[in-house]
This record gives sequence, structure tokens and C-alpha cells, in this order.
Amino acid sequence: MTAWSTAAPAISAAFLASLVEVVEAFTIVLAVATLRGWRPAALGTAGGLGVLAGIVLLLGPLLDRVPISSLQLAIGILLLLFGMGWLRKASLRAAGVIPLHDEEAIFAAEAADLSEEARRRARNLGWAAGITALKAVLLEGLEVVFIVIAVGAGRGLLVPAGLGALAACAVVLAAGAIVHRPLSRVPENILKFGVGVMLSAFGVFWTGEGLGIAWPGADFALLLFAALFLGAGLLASAFARKLAVEFA
Amino acid sequence: MTMLKELAAELVGMFVAEKRLAIAVLAIVAMTGLLVDLAGLNPLFGGAVLLFGCLMLLIESVCRAARGGVS
Repeated sequence: MTAWSTAAPAISAAFLASLVEVVEAFTIVLAVATLRGWRPAALGTAGGLGVLAGIVLLLGPLLDRVPISSLQLAIGILLLLFGMGWLRKASLRAAGVIPLHDEEAIFAAEAADLSEEARRRARNLGWAAGITALKAVLLEGLEVVFIVIAVGAGRGLLVPAGLGALAACAVVLAAGAIVHRPLSRVPENILKFGVGVMLSAFGVFWTGEGLGIAWPGADFALLLFAALFLGAGLLASAFARKLAVEFA
Repeated sequence: MTMLKELAAELVGMFVAEKRLAIAVLAIVAMTGLLVDLAGLNPLFGGAVLLFGCLMLLIESVCRAARGGVS
């Protein structure tokens, strides 16, 4: 039986990170559905989910064959790279150095792309729209799969992490079905900031364990790491705001 | 083929948001491994190097981007 204190960080990290990715995929699928109908959008989404399922079924069993310390080290390093990249971008967005992620703008850009495609080759339009949806689901889905593996595999928490990701899909689909437009009110940068903090904290934790470091307080060390990354991200953002003004 | 290329680019982009930050993180991990495994340093000291090294790298990377040349 998995302790709640062990599973909770994995579930919440997988849920929040997946929420961001699913919102991005949903925006593009919605653009396809709005312009070309639900059929290519649904077929593309199903195709993307099918390829993802194939990847998981193919690679999933291999995880059991990797020694746990090597798995923790490899996943920890990937999490550090992934999480710190998110945190860096979120800090720069919070400081106003780079623009915020705008789902309305992405929706408009995808719609414009599909309209352009329509003018060029009307015959294959359904195909092109389906491929657009498939690519969005596949690319964002790959990130979700990585996040689930990364936060779950090191401690046998794949199921709780997977449930967190599934819950994110359900929340986005339910919200999307209700509002029927891009989910532009999701505070995406705050989510990305929070997820960057959690993934970076997991990254240091797993990398350390993979290198043979026994962290004091075991899993509770994650809370300290998260607090430190949050502080560093906020500090970096404040410095960046000042520097951006000075160097403007 | 274009889609496979996009897929590969997306996968690389997931982990290498900024080249210098990615290389520096890998260097910190390698240094921690060397300190703990080869130099026989107390693992907790190695952990502190890893943790605080990553925190400093984050702040440095954000400030560098803010000074100009965001990538």
C-alpha cells in the first residue's frame, strides 16, 4: 500500500504538469474541430492517443529491467533539465522578459494555418486537419508520458502518477465541453512556475538518490527542495525584471 | 519524415530549453558524481553541491537572458 505522503507529490506533479500540456493540445484540437468539423479532430486525436499507447506498451516493460539506481539517475537528470527549463521560462515570463503563453493567439494561428491550407488544397483538407490534431496530441502527449514516468518510476508510483495525468485530461475535457472555446483563463504561467518548481525538486531528489545520496528526512526533503526552487525562481524573476529595465 | 523531425526536435527541446543551462546542469551532476564516488566526499556534501549548484544556475540563466539574448 503506497503511503499518501509518498504518492501525493507524484499525483499533484503529474496532474499539474499534464494540465498544462493537455490545455495546449486541446487548443489545437479545438481549432481543428471548429474549422474542419469534429470528425478529423476526433480521428487525429484517436490516432495520436493510439501512437502514444503503442509507445507506452513498447517501452513500459523495459523500465522494470533497468536497475533502480540507474533509473533514478537517468530520470533525475532528465527531470532537472526539463523542470529547470520550465522554471527558467516561467521566471522570464513572470518578469515580462518574454511574452505570456496565449492560448487565444495559438488558437487563432492554428485557425489561420488551416484556412491557408484550405485555399491551397481543398481536396486534402480533412487529412491535413486530422494530421494537425494528431501531431498536437502526440507531441503534448509525449511530454505527459515523460512526466508520468519521471515522477512515478523511481518509487513504483506509476499508477498514482498516471491517475494524476488522467485526472488532468478529464478536467480539461470537462471544462472544454462546458466553455467550448480555448481555455485562456487557465493561469498557465503560474501553473508552469509551480510545475517547474516541483519537477526541479524531484530532479535533484532522484539524481541525488541515483548517485547514492541518502537525503535527510527522506521524501520530506522534497518539500525543502521545492521551497528553495520556488525562492530561487522568484528571486531570479525579480532580478530579471530589474535587469530588463536597465538593459532596455 | 517532416513529422518525425518535428517529433525529434520536440523531444530534444523538452530537455534542452537553453543549451548553456543544460550543459551546466550536466556538469554539476558529473561533478557531484565525481566528488561522491571518486573523491570519497561525504554524500551529503555532494547533495549540497548538486542542490545549490542547480539553484545558482537557474538564477544565472534567468539573469543572463534578461540582460539580452533570450533563447
